[in-house]
Amino acid sequence: MNAPSPTPTKKYDLSFARWVYDNIDGGDRMALCMQCGTCSGSCPIGTQMDHGPRKLFMMIRAGMKEAVLTSNTLWNCVSCYNCVVRCPRKVPVAYILHDLATVAVREGYAEARNSDNARFAKAFWWSAAKYGRTDERLVTGKYYFSFGIGEGYKRGMANLPIAMGMIKTKRMHLGMPHKCSNTGELHKILAKAAEIEARDHGKQG
Amino acid sequence: MTERKTGIYLCGGCGIGEAIDVAALEGVAKKEFKLDSKTHACLCGDDGVAMIRADLEAGINQVAIAACSSRVMTDRFGFEPIQVLRADLREKVIWSHPANHEDTQALAEDSVRMVLTMATKVKAPEPYVEGEWSSRILVMGGGVTGLAAAAQAAALGHEVLLLERSDRLGGRALDSSKRLPHRPPYAQPAANDIGDLVASVTGNAKITARLGCTVTQTSGMPGRFVVNLSDGSVETVGAIVVATGWRPYDASKLGHLGYGASPDVVTGVELEGMLKAGKVTRKSNGAPVKSVAFVQCAGSRDPDHLPYCSSICCATSLKQALELIEAEPATNAYVVYEEMRTPGVMEELYRTAQAAGVIFMKGKVKTVGADLTVTVADELIGEDIPLAGLDMVVLATGMVPNSTNTDAPSPAEGAEQLAGDIDPEVPFPVAGYCGDAPAAHAKRPQAAPEGGSLLNLQYRQGPHLPVLHDGFADSHYICFPYETRRTGIYTAGPVRRPMDWAEAAEDASGAVLKAVQAVRSASAGAALHPRVGDLSFPKINLNQCTKCKRCTVECPFGAIDEDEQTYPIVNATRCRRCGTCMGACPVRTISFDNYSVDMLSSMIKAVKVPDEFSGKPRILIMACENDAIPALDMAGIKRNQWSAHVRILPVRCLGSVSLLCISDALSVGYDGVMMMGCKPGDDYQCHFVKGSAMAAERLSKVGETLKSMMLEPERVTQAEASIADADRLPKVIDAFVEQITAIGFNPFKGF
Repeated sequence: MNAPSPTPTKKYDLSFARWVYDNIDGGDRMALCMQCGTCSGSCPIGTQMDHGPRKLFMMIRAGMKEAVLTSNTLWNCVSCYNCVVRCPRKVPVAYILHDLATVAVREGYAEARNSDNARFAKAFWWSAAKYGRTDERLVTGKYYFSFGIGEGYKRGMANLPIAMGMIKTKRMHLGMPHKCSNTGELHKILAKAAEIEARDHGKQG
Repeated sequence: MTERKTGIYLCGGCGIGEAIDVAALEGVAKKEFKLDSKTHACLCGDDGVAMIRADLEAGINQVAIAACSSRVMTDRFGFEPIQVLRADLREKVIWSHPANHEDTQALAEDSVRMVLTMATKVKAPEPYVEGEWSSRILVMGGGVTGLAAAAQAAALGHEVLLLERSDRLGGRALDSSKRLPHRPPYAQPAANDIGDLVASVTGNAKITARLGCTVTQTSGMPGRFVVNLSDGSVETVGAIVVATGWRPYDASKLGHLGYGASPDVVTGVELEGMLKAGKVTRKSNGAPVKSVAFVQCAGSRDPDHLPYCSSICCATSLKQALELIEAEPATNAYVVYEEMRTPGVMEELYRTAQAAGVIFMKGKVKTVGADLTVTVADELIGEDIPLAGLDMVVLATGMVPNSTNTDAPSPAEGAEQLAGDIDPEVPFPVAGYCGDAPAAHAKRPQAAPEGGSLLNLQYRQGPHLPVLHDGFADSHYICFPYETRRTGIYTAGPVRRPMDWAEAAEDASGAVLKAVQAVRSASAGAALHPRVGDLSFPKINLNQCTKCKRCTVECPFGAIDEDEQTYPIVNATRCRRCGTCMGACPVRTISFDNYSVDMLSSMIKAVKVPDEFSGKPRILIMACENDAIPALDMAGIKRNQWSAHVRILPVRCLGSVSLLCISDALSVGYDGVMMMGCKPGDDYQCHFVKGSAMAAERLSKVGETLKSMMLEPERVTQAEASIADADRLPKVIDAFVEQITAIGFNPFKGF
């Protein structure tokens, strides 16, 4: 599991598919993909993806590493698990997309760093790791201001009526962020996980 | 012949007695034929059968039964060797027409008239059993199919002469590494066990194997084929199993797939040899093969090469990829396919290959470069994908049948037989589907397969086994797969259609059972498929023969040869008893003991044709006994009704119908004639291959004759029937009756 993915010296790299089969979570099942397209057909946001999961898997087989790892498919997956439930070959499609996203981050594909979904995921993780809970105000704030001060202010003001409505209907509170009962233990657990991750996959992206 | 004493039995059971007046039928026999008959309320019951047996003891020598269809109760009404004639009052009379109706009664009375007329025109057939008969079986080819055939035939107690062209037994299997899975769970390549099969054959005292030996000439007929061999010997055998197998398509014609441009572009057969030798390396430099691409359909399903699918190349490439991965797990194996075709349980091998990490790409290979870059027009991505940096490219070439002897030059004569008169691309209508006929289809031209004939048959119709469009031996894939159009000669294995090892061995069993049936029937004078057990055979009165040669040319099975004076000679055991010769003969000098033009004509004339003042038309249907009659029986069983104005005359095959029968029918006042039989043509369903096609051809020439008689050509027609047409045929009949009624009555009535 510690081998980095093959360097894309060319657009089509024949060794990429076997690397995915051997190194990606669920990749061994991906070998059984028969390209029926049930995943792409079931995907509620397939129209928002560069390529549906079916085509992305075929691109992996064709060795199109850069095209795969810069694809927004990895980031636009909303983990609804329709594809996973429906796949006739029991390929865990969503897991594979998430693990490929991890590879994209780790190996520094620009598309991954700049994508909205990556920013949002980072904001979400910051809150979850810090408090053991996600706080809507902090997550959205951190996400908006990741685009810069001006842009963050603009986005925040644009969504103010929604925020006010949520407060009014008690969907969002105004006090201190909620926390889990023992954040100290949580941080220890996460530190240990990071240690394992670093050991198995090298430097974090 | 001793005096004919016919016992006549009428059955009143199964509702016959309630639906028609059986006593009136007795009256027909008594008044018109001066014969006494007996009626029983349940003729097939023990009482009824005992009554018939008692009469047989008392001296009757022929039995006529008017009860149910001749296709049922054959065991109850079987009194070998006494001939039993049957009239059907049940399926085709009371079950398909209204009860207690005058037209139904007339139909039943005509059925009795027809069978009693028949009884005066036939005699129990005397089989052709003259001379010595051989029960030895010749197997041509010492590969998997031939070895399995030899072992099976020996296990059934027959002496076997096994011929092999090369100097070793085992065929192509000897050069193979593993074989495709053939036992549950069908998931892994299996060990090559050809050695066991060879040992079981060489150790069998009943099997004589001759290596380096081919057939130079074959004459005779089933039960006594005389075969000249290349070693100079002459052998007599009873039946022949052709198991000459296949050869790979010539890859040198596949330049567009890189063959010849690089030594590392190899065929599947070449890779198989390397796997067998245990060392797969690049031919160019001896380096190990780390990445390989298999190109499927290399020259197959390609109109410029082999237009058909060889069915096993996909599974073979899967097996080879698995063997490469097993030897070196890091091997990167690509399989580029258009459609992955893994018939039957071979799908399990496909899954195994997927799980093992073989990478599948769907698309057509556009080019294979000299640097081994395979460019794929990938259908699933929608762009051209170059697979670069491969160590080896494997072309999965197809199978070419050894239906000719490629070591021998193509003969000057008889090559047209090999041009293939069956077109596999003709759209198939779904049996029983009552819709429009498929669109006409232009036949694709194809060159005759190269090479000399395998058997060099000394037949009037030429030296070859007739072949299908693509060079495979002609047979009917579904209905009679092992039969060729030369009786007693059976094909098995890939010479018949592409197939794998296990299928070929199974095929060998099928062909051997056919061969055993052939030798055993030959010595008893009995017919083979589809008239199994028929003891009659065509007899030609040479005093009347005009030597027109129609019978020798039209026989679908090449059964009739010509002597020095060009008179026809019937080879009785080659004959399948369809009667196509009888229908062809312009002077009606060919007949069977129990089937003749005279018999058919007399039966046609026995029917009472109502005059034009009755308002009732009379229509004759000559229906093929193979599919049309059973379909009509089934229509009766389903209680489908059709017009009571038709009279159905069963015939062996439409090919046996002489045009005389049609002109006789019209001259005695029938208003219309329908020939109902199997589908003729390229996608024939005729059980005698050519019979219904011959009938169609003859019928096409009858129109002029009708016009000269001032009759409308529409009065005579041919209708296609398949076994599944029980619901369609009554409609076809009623439509024809309506059409004839619209045309009006036959002006010849009453003359």
